[in-house]
Amino acid sequence: MIKHHPKFELLQGFVDGDLPASLAAGIAIHTNMCASCQQKVSQLTEQVAEASFEQSFHHKVIVNDEENLTEIAEMDFDDMINQITASDDVAPTKAFYDERSINFKGMQYTLPSALRNIELGKTAQIGKLSRARLNLGEGEIHTNLLHIGPGGSIPEHTHKGFELTLLLAGTFADAQGQYVAGDFIMLDKRDQHQPATEDGCLCYTVANDALHFTQGINKLLNPIGAFIY
Amino acid sequence: MLSVHSVLPSHKANATSNNMTNKINHPELCQWLKSIAIDRDKQAFTQVFKFFAPKIQRIAQSKINSEALAAEVVQDTMSNVWRKAHLFDDSKGAATTWVYTIMRNVTFDLLRKMKANKEDNLSDDIWPLAELANTEEEVFTDHIQSRNLQGIIATLPENQQQVVKGFYFMEMSQEQLAVHLDLPLGTIKSRLRLALGKLKLKIGDHND
Repeated sequence: MIKHHPKFELLQGFVDGDLPASLAAGIAIHTNMCASCQQKVSQLTEQVAEASFEQSFHHKVIVNDEENLTEIAEMDFDDMINQITASDDVAPTKAFYDERSINFKGMQYTLPSALRNIELGKTAQIGKLSRARLNLGEGEIHTNLLHIGPGGSIPEHTHKGFELTLLLAGTFADAQGQYVAGDFIMLDKRDQHQPATEDGCLCYTVANDALHFTQGINKLLNPIGAFIY
Repeated sequence: MLSVHSVLPSHKANATSNNMTNKINHPELCQWLKSIAIDRDKQAFTQVFKFFAPKIQRIAQSKINSEALAAEVVQDTMSNVWRKAHLFDDSKGAATTWVYTIMRNVTFDLLRKMKANKEDNLSDDIWPLAELANTEEEVFTDHIQSRNLQGIIATLPENQQQVVKGFYFMEMSQEQLAVHLDLPLGTIKSRLRLALGKLKLKIGDHND
């Protein structure tokens, strides 16, 4: 059962469309697997939509913003209406999509639909770790598909920024317990963890800084931190 | 975490005050969307446009900070409303929610184009628009007129039936149908238009 969910502020940012694509896609994947978050998102969207298009809200804004009001009032929308209605193209009832899948070490995984059009980089490997970058072009925020082979682990580490690990397939465990597909694990720089997997797993990860290995000999592994980031 | 989550505008506090919401005439909005979907009713579209466009303009302007780009959001959002009205299903949510989703998606893709220089248009993958139906079965259980509709489609010439069924029930695009049936795209389009014209007449007859 999924035990780890995005906190409310993230769901709200998701509904508002204010999150970077990397995190928005993560929440979309999670809500597709988690009925309770799906329901929260639906309710929130309904409320935000209602508030956005409510008359009274706009009257309030108008009072504070009289200059803008006149500009908009003078805008000629008629041209736009004519232009739009001149076309008799109708969208297909449902667009047809191919499923997208990816291979790691001979295992084939179907990617969640939120990821089907994101540019995918080459897969790189170190030991039991394989990583494919999702090239979202979000600067310091890096997004990857991370595969950990059976018996593999990521040594104990911490990060300077945030790190989202969303388990797509398989299971892993750390000091906090077991994780299953759909678990949405958002860590910040205060947290340390050391995920290990018995049977292998595939994760969607988003981080805004390299992982930082903290213990003894593992410090030598900091290049892996850069690799995973 | 805070670094990536922009602070919510203060008006969002209003989202919870539902006592104000009766100002939106939801049945009327739904009716207009239906008229657009069924009759391509320009008058109804003008009403929908007048309700939403100024608000979209203002919301987009606060997010994008450019009047011209905000107008682009209005144009894109309202074109989608015109082209997708037949996909709106009032049993799945309010018209405001449907239009909001379109507006949010259009804005998101535009901002991504500006900030990340990416034209990958990911929004519909991240926030799929609530669609009329996902499967053929649903199409036929959701609609009161479904049985009629099947019968009426069966009265079309075979070549028009093919296109209508492919487009509406097998969820193929016009381009895919052209490839699949090995016909020019123009032929697909004109057959579809002919077929829809006939269907409209016949469905109209039955309803009267």
